[in-house]
Amino acid sequence: MTSYAYFFGCIIPNRYPGVEYAVRWVCGKEGYDLDVMDIKEFSCCPVPGIFYSSDKDTWLLLASRNLVLGQKERREIMTVCNGCLTSLLKATEYLKDPKRMGKVNRMLAQIGKKYTGIPRKTEGRRRIMEPVKVRHYVDVMTNDIGLEEVQAHTKRPLRNIKAAVHYGCHYLRPTENQTIDDPNDPVKIDKIVEACGATSVDYDDKLDCCGAGGGVRSHVVELANSLTEDKCRNIAAAEADCIVTGCPFCLLQFDNAQKAFTKDGIPVMHVAQFQALAMGIDPISLGFDTHHVSAHSFLRKLRGV
Amino acid sequence: MGEVEKVFLSGLHEKLVEDKVIDEPQLEPDFAKEIVKYGGKDVMTCLQCGNCTGVCPISLKINYKTRSIIKYCQFGLKTLTLGTQWVCATCYRCYEHCPSDINPAEVMIALRHIAIREGVIPPFIKVAATNLVKYGQSVKPDPEVEKIRKELELDDVPSRGAEYAKVIREINVLIHAAGYDKLIGIEEEVKA
Repeated sequence: MTSYAYFFGCIIPNRYPGVEYAVRWVCGKEGYDLDVMDIKEFSCCPVPGIFYSSDKDTWLLLASRNLVLGQKERREIMTVCNGCLTSLLKATEYLKDPKRMGKVNRMLAQIGKKYTGIPRKTEGRRRIMEPVKVRHYVDVMTNDIGLEEVQAHTKRPLRNIKAAVHYGCHYLRPTENQTIDDPNDPVKIDKIVEACGATSVDYDDKLDCCGAGGGVRSHVVELANSLTEDKCRNIAAAEADCIVTGCPFCLLQFDNAQKAFTKDGIPVMHVAQFQALAMGIDPISLGFDTHHVSAHSFLRKLRGV
Repeated sequence: MGEVEKVFLSGLHEKLVEDKVIDEPQLEPDFAKEIVKYGGKDVMTCLQCGNCTGVCPISLKINYKTRSIIKYCQFGLKTLTLGTQWVCATCYRCYEHCPSDINPAEVMIALRHIAIREGVIPPFIKVAATNLVKYGQSVKPDPEVEKIRKELELDDVPSRGAEYAKVIREINVLIHAAGYDKLIGIEEEVKA
């Protein structure tokens, strides 16, 4: 059985603790009972929109530090965020270049760390190393656990719920690194939603950006919000009860931006929260009170009121 | 690069200067090389097909044309590119649709590197970097959220743990060693 290490990143623990609770619940004893541990020394991935954009050397150094921690435990790093996925995955690609790896290790030596990768097998005296594996929660659910299992664990099918799935750019692109789903026709989150008994509604421009990425939200929030507004208009037209995403930054954007252009808004949640609901969790544990858009309308519909 | 440059730009520089469309001092002849240095691909191989602009979600909202920015890069019009590239959402749609495999999103990222080295540093970069050296995370802990974490019986956020001081120290050492503190002007915050 594969062993994992949680990588929650910055936004989930500090803004959406309900997502963290849901992920731990789904992966823990109440759910799939995975071999998964916390590595307390993980830092920010670091965020690609800031560090990858301003100094790639610093970005690679800080990302490598996180990878070394996963390497020490010989575990796959399970990210719950598209940003963490793209940052760490890209770092493993960069580190395949021995020159870059050497440069990083000279710097990491100052804090007593070294990136080597994880030994896979030995050929004669040579140890063949492979990069530290970086996974996305959705990928773990659909590939390692499997949709049949997800369906089998659905104790309370969310039958009357119509969900609009938002994938988020860095789940799909750039395809030179990410290949966990079909970039032009992704299905994995839709399939999880359907395994939970709900309907995944189709809507226009489904694969469009939420607007937040690459520092746009921090730089020109109105621009980011206007992209979100377009998406929300399409989602509302499809009469969805909620937005389900695999990325906490998209979640944050949908959740915060909606108050800029609408009064009620469509509730937004992480796919782990959605899944936990179908597996029978008490909604009170999902921390919906930290969300700006109230989840009341969604929960009322769920109860069939 | 030489051949491509000849095909696309031969005589154009001179003509634009002659027509006073651009001033000679504005031009940086080695701008394309500088972009390559910061990890962008060779902009001289851009066909100017405009696919990147066509699929860009930002171009629908504001006057931001990826193709034009690549064109400025070809000419070496550095001043026109400083500041524009921060509206790129790095959604990488342009990369998927580029027939020349230029990866315009990565060019924007290289342009960000160049702008920062020219002293054009958006304030949110400093905020996030300061959070990182203080808390080990780019997002500042929120007392309200920490209260809810307690209610949910989740552990404290990592940055509150006593053993996390070591992590903060390591991050400070690395940021200082890479010269990042000096680059974006947060030397006072970093304790290496």
